[in-house]
Amino acid sequence: MNPKARTKINAVIVLVFLTITSIFVLYPVVYVISAAFSPGNSIASLNIIPFGDGVTLEHFRHLFTSTNYPIWFKNTLIIALATSISTVLIASLGAYVFSRFRFTLRKSLMTALLILQIFPSFVGMAAIYVILLRIGGHDTLWGLVLVYVAGNVPYNTWLVKSYLDTIPRSLDEAAIIDGASHFKTWLMIIMPVARPILTFLAIASFTGPWMDFIFPKLVLRSAHKQTLALGLFSFITDKKNEFTNFAAGSLLVAIPFIIFFVTFQKYLITSLGASTVKE
Amino acid sequence: MGASISIKPQQRRDSTKNKVLISSILFMGLGHVLYLKQYLKGLFFAAIEVVFIAYLPKITVVLGNLITLGEPQPHLPIRQRPHSMFMLIDGIIVLALIFIFIGFYIISVRSAVAESDQSRRSPIGLREGINRALPMIGLAPSIGLILFFVFIPLVFSACVAFTNYSSPGHIPPNNTVDWVGLENFKTLFGGHTTWTGALVRVALWTLTWAVLATATCYFGGMLTAVVLKESRMRIAGFFRILFILPYAIPSVISMLVWQNLLNGTFGTLNRTLFTLGVIAKPIPWLGDPRLAKFTAVMINLWAGFPYFMLLTLGSMTAISQDVYEAAEIDGAGKIQLFWKIILPIVLYQTAPLIIMSFTHNVNNFGAIFFLTGGGPVVKDSTLTSSGGTDILITWIYKLTVNLMKYHYASVLAVMVFLVLAPIAMINLRRTRSFREGEL
Repeated sequence: MNPKARTKINAVIVLVFLTITSIFVLYPVVYVISAAFSPGNSIASLNIIPFGDGVTLEHFRHLFTSTNYPIWFKNTLIIALATSISTVLIASLGAYVFSRFRFTLRKSLMTALLILQIFPSFVGMAAIYVILLRIGGHDTLWGLVLVYVAGNVPYNTWLVKSYLDTIPRSLDEAAIIDGASHFKTWLMIIMPVARPILTFLAIASFTGPWMDFIFPKLVLRSAHKQTLALGLFSFITDKKNEFTNFAAGSLLVAIPFIIFFVTFQKYLITSLGASTVKE
Repeated sequence: MGASISIKPQQRRDSTKNKVLISSILFMGLGHVLYLKQYLKGLFFAAIEVVFIAYLPKITVVLGNLITLGEPQPHLPIRQRPHSMFMLIDGIIVLALIFIFIGFYIISVRSAVAESDQSRRSPIGLREGINRALPMIGLAPSIGLILFFVFIPLVFSACVAFTNYSSPGHIPPNNTVDWVGLENFKTLFGGHTTWTGALVRVALWTLTWAVLATATCYFGGMLTAVVLKESRMRIAGFFRILFILPYAIPSVISMLVWQNLLNGTFGTLNRTLFTLGVIAKPIPWLGDPRLAKFTAVMINLWAGFPYFMLLTLGSMTAISQDVYEAAEIDGAGKIQLFWKIILPIVLYQTAPLIIMSFTHNVNNFGAIFFLTGGGPVVKDSTLTSSGGTDILITWIYKLTVNLMKYHYASVLAVMVFLVLAPIAMINLRRTRSFREGEL
């Protein structure tokens, strides 16, 4: 076989592979989009040909007029923002202390952080529930934020600490010699220098609460304090199936995420690659 | 005069050091106030001990309650009955506070001794004091949060495994809960045929699931990455963006969508296949235990391969171009290049992340719960609530939320911890900072 024919066959195999993978990837995506705009209610009534029954904006109207969708969105946004900001502040301050100071129990604390981070925090659900009841954080957004931040801190303190270790100490020592306090050094020197890792951290902890289901279910009870995950889930329970409304609501959440990921895909590749090389 | 000095400087320093040590051990901060003239620091430490002593009676009561978990008092109205779980949590919190107190004690004594060594003992102002305390202040929020929302819940969970906290007979505040020793472990590990059978089934599937889910995503991701990279087609960039989609869509959403599309009777997939004449009767994608397991792994592949694709692309970019060129000059073909160069390098670099992904999959609640809900129903489901695709973590959730069998859920949680903690330690030992002793 000559090389040219071989290259062609290779190209065909690659194309077939990519096409099949694309169909697999796109299959649910196409149906969600079509369901969001299709008349009808349940999955059973959905036409198997995407957009086969015409296009309607009824479900989006329904979301904003007859359900608490805007409130769910607002609550989730508040939780995500608060979690993101608190995680960045607390983890970076802790990481700064671990990276730059030597003190009693330092090593034990760091090892404890590492062991604690492997355990999914919802295994202690019952206790978290009782503790929140005790401090009045039950059925409040801030109670949920506390739980998220506590879950984020162990791993991310390590992450930021490893990054800070690579920053030359001379930088902050110079600031100390110039008379800056430790706190000021952290705020004015360390935070700006660590911006890449802190940006990554802010984004990662911002996206977490959008997808979480267990903790909102545990902590939030009132109808006006639900989050998107809870609300969307309530559309498709055992009792009712409003797949089209669910699809419309999901689409509105997923689109910002998709835009974001596609925009930053280059950055994602390099940061994921870098994290592997560093180990 | 010189000859009359009986105490040599070295001895004097030693005796001061001893005084500081003894006084610091006697009462927190005493050494700071008496000998080191660090009144602020000394008073701060002393205040901690005063508060501790003031609360001592209360602490004794709480610890007593921790041991008994409350006596049943059915004659009282429900609201006034002793609440065993509050007693348990309060007891653990108090124990944690005692440990913190001991930690402070150690820190105070050490700091007093360390500072008695230094010759210069000029008193410092409030500003400088706060500045020097930054390590403590900086760690306080992290430690506080982790203590109350991670550590104490874990200890609580571990404790519940040794109680009979469960529905229907032992749910506070109606009834009290008692310590039962290893009773729950016995039931689950060999005392009760149905429970033990369910546990073995779920544990084996959890392991199989974690291995399969990690392996399929890893090799699926790598395969796509290599194809995209090596095809050198213009269109590859387009496909890469397309393949990021599953990674970008929140998994709750995508899993719930798949659940509906794969529904045996109403799902679009079966209806499509039926209309096309491929199948005569519906395929129970999520309704048959075996097939549901296969489906779960496949759908997890859908959701998980983009992550490893990005990862492989990233670490392939990091492979120096020289390596490729050298291999090409030596006459290596594409296949050889993959097996001998790309695979070993990528494998080596991503090994820690494979382990992390494995532990993630052991705990991958969303991939199971939102797709199959743990179903379909199997023989022991009515009693144990565990279905054909339930992994330990979804079973724990069901035991807690649906059945309120907290005692069994906690036993399972302890099990997961015992399996995963060593893996995390191994992963830690691999990291460079640990090996270099820097931590």
